[in-house]
Amino acid sequence: MASNQASVKSTKLSVKNFKPKVRLPDAGKEEWWNQLREAVRAIHNRCPISYNREDLHKAVGHMCTHSLSPRLYNELKIQCEEYTKASLHQLIDDFMDEMAYLIKLNSLWKDHCNQMIMIRGIYLTLDRTYVMQNPLVLSLWDMGLELFRKFIVSEQTVEKKTIDGLLSLISRERNGETINKSLIKSLLRMLSELQMYQYHFENKFLQVTESLYATEGQNFSQSLEIPDYLSFVDKRIKEESERCLHYLEHSTKKPLLTSVEKQLIEYRKEMIINKGKTELLDTNRLDKLKLMYSLLARVNGGLDELCKRFSLYIQERGTSMVMDTERDKTMVTELLDFKSKLDSVIELSFDHNPKFINTEKDSFETFINRRTNKPAELIAKYIDMKLRAGNKEATDEELDKILDKIMVMFRFIQGKDVFEAFYKKDLAKRLLVGRSASVDAEMSMLLKLKQECGAGFTSKLEGMFKDIEHSKELMPHYKQYLNNQKIGHNLDMTVNVLMTSNWPTYHPMDVILPEYMISYQKHFQQFYLSKHSGRKLQWISTLGHCVVAANFPLGKKDIVVSLLQTLVLLQFNKEDEISFLDLKQRTGIDDADMRRTLQSLACGKVRVLHKKPKGKEVEDNDVFAYVSDFKHKQFHIKINQVQMKETLEENINTTERVFQDRQYQIDAAIVRIMKTRKTLSHALLVTAVYEQLKFPIKPSDLKKRIESLIERDYMERDEDDAYQYHYVA
Amino acid sequence: MKVTIQKWIGVASWKWQVNDDNCGICRMPFDSCCPECKLPGDDCTIVWGECSHCFHVHCILKWLQSQNYQDQTCPMCRQSWKFKTH
Repeated sequence: MASNQASVKSTKLSVKNFKPKVRLPDAGKEEWWNQLREAVRAIHNRCPISYNREDLHKAVGHMCTHSLSPRLYNELKIQCEEYTKASLHQLIDDFMDEMAYLIKLNSLWKDHCNQMIMIRGIYLTLDRTYVMQNPLVLSLWDMGLELFRKFIVSEQTVEKKTIDGLLSLISRERNGETINKSLIKSLLRMLSELQMYQYHFENKFLQVTESLYATEGQNFSQSLEIPDYLSFVDKRIKEESERCLHYLEHSTKKPLLTSVEKQLIEYRKEMIINKGKTELLDTNRLDKLKLMYSLLARVNGGLDELCKRFSLYIQERGTSMVMDTERDKTMVTELLDFKSKLDSVIELSFDHNPKFINTEKDSFETFINRRTNKPAELIAKYIDMKLRAGNKEATDEELDKILDKIMVMFRFIQGKDVFEAFYKKDLAKRLLVGRSASVDAEMSMLLKLKQECGAGFTSKLEGMFKDIEHSKELMPHYKQYLNNQKIGHNLDMTVNVLMTSNWPTYHPMDVILPEYMISYQKHFQQFYLSKHSGRKLQWISTLGHCVVAANFPLGKKDIVVSLLQTLVLLQFNKEDEISFLDLKQRTGIDDADMRRTLQSLACGKVRVLHKKPKGKEVEDNDVFAYVSDFKHKQFHIKINQVQMKETLEENINTTERVFQDRQYQIDAAIVRIMKTRKTLSHALLVTAVYEQLKFPIKPSDLKKRIESLIERDYMERDEDDAYQYHYVA
Repeated sequence: MKVTIQKWIGVASWKWQVNDDNCGICRMPFDSCCPECKLPGDDCTIVWGECSHCFHVHCILKWLQSQNYQDQTCPMCRQSWKFKTH
């Protein structure tokens, strides 16, 4: 370009003298040939070259300009070919062991490379001109490689010995020996330079690898424990990738690792998962689980399999927790522990995989609902235990955390109405006896339920809190009212007025109260009705309680007791010894409650009554007397009521109640569906109802509801087809 | 032994004293509240007319508003409506 521009600029033309073409003197030519041949021979024999390299270089240059290149190239090729052929015998003749053989080959290769570099240095002009101009002619370096391949490595014995040697070296390394890595690396480079790597080496290498790991997989997966097998596989995979780093060609890495993974993991994945999973989860070995996860993540479908098995494991363990009636007492704690354990497994070992998180949720939901009602009941009871006063094991913050955890469990429950029934019962107890640990905790629990199930779910529970608040506000007014009435007795009376529909149903019991108590009741009734007209009050004697002052011969005590207990104690003001039947008659308490009441007074921790004869259960012929030498270190004593044993009958009652509530929901669902579809077959209606309703229903119950709706003219059967329904507007 | 009660915490529950279970206007039970309210009780009380029919207060007020001021009647018996005072 520069010269071009110059010629454009300058207008001057310079005429050069005619130069005759320089012809090479023939004698000089011959001398150059000899010198070059000599030099190549010297290089091949590793002797110093006796000529100045620059001269040689120039000679080549001259020859090239005088179109002697083809001959020059050919002569050089022949010379190199002869030399290469000759060096083959070094490999074939001697009997060498593998190592020596490989070393020899390597040195031969190294020499070849060095020599070719030197030769190329001298013949550089040839490479630059002749070779460049003729695309079919190989460059000097490639020619050298071609010769080396053709006459040395492609020789059958050499090829076989080389490949075998390399493979045996690698297998020795796999067996734990240290080998000459640079030797392997250099030889493999050679193969790849010679274009022989992929076809001659790699295929075979992969075959050998595959068969090796096939046997290893077979053997070790059976002889080793799963954790050990996992570490073994991990080690192998690390080794192989290191091998790729150290000497294998980059392109081998993928097929090599795939083959290892296939043999060691994919073909054994079911075994690994089936055998290992349960054990690892049971013993909570997070590191091994993590390893298992990462190994299985490498192969196709590995995680799916793991996930499936994970779900099975959860369901299996969970079901055994839920179904075992012996373990009812600890079920909720166990479930919570189980859940937090699985959470930590997912977090630490399973990489927070959302798929696993979902699987965990689904599995929990499945197993927890295997047993209807009981888990819901126990969760409600667990919350009650946590919220009850005297539970000082947790601060407010900790309590909140526990409640959050339990809410997670609650979410899995399908029969939320069962939960509500039991929760309500317990809440009522906490509120009426004033045993709630903290209002804040109660409110936060209520809020959680509200967020979870909506305002409809909690409206009655909120109503209960309101009732208690209203009653508190009412009390000062009542006190004032009482002061104006001037009653002889000095009784401190507080009343909680409940709105019937908000609270669990309590069966009314007409007990015989002392007259002055009745007058108090009457006064309250008057007072209340004057404030709220149009209402009816009913006293619930089973829920009331009292503080009584008891003058024992050894000292005065304040006792906190239930109203029923109070009534019993009052009887002993007149007589010292009373029989069971007399007590029952005088107080009007019904049989079952009477027995429990007496049990609490005579057989509990604090005993104020003597029972004759002694024993745990109260019989009809028992006689009771007060304990004359009653002693207790505290002045203020609380006598616990004997908890009503969850009798079968009572449990059935709760379930029945729940079912009755459910009937409305079923009815509503059926009508809703029929209203939109107008006409529907029985089967379709049933599936639609199941989709809408959250709780389990028996098909027979569902049929009854449909029957009842037909009776009430909400829908009718098709005249021809009994399994077809029409909506009646 | 002499036992005296010092303190008594009683529990009572209340119901509307009504002849009918449901409100004649909204058909919701009196134990529950009218359809506009969320909680039964003081927020959604029941009122009686001099004809002795009773309704949710919200329901009857709505009914009365929809009528002429002069002839406000009980929706059940058509007698003119007057709130009963106790």
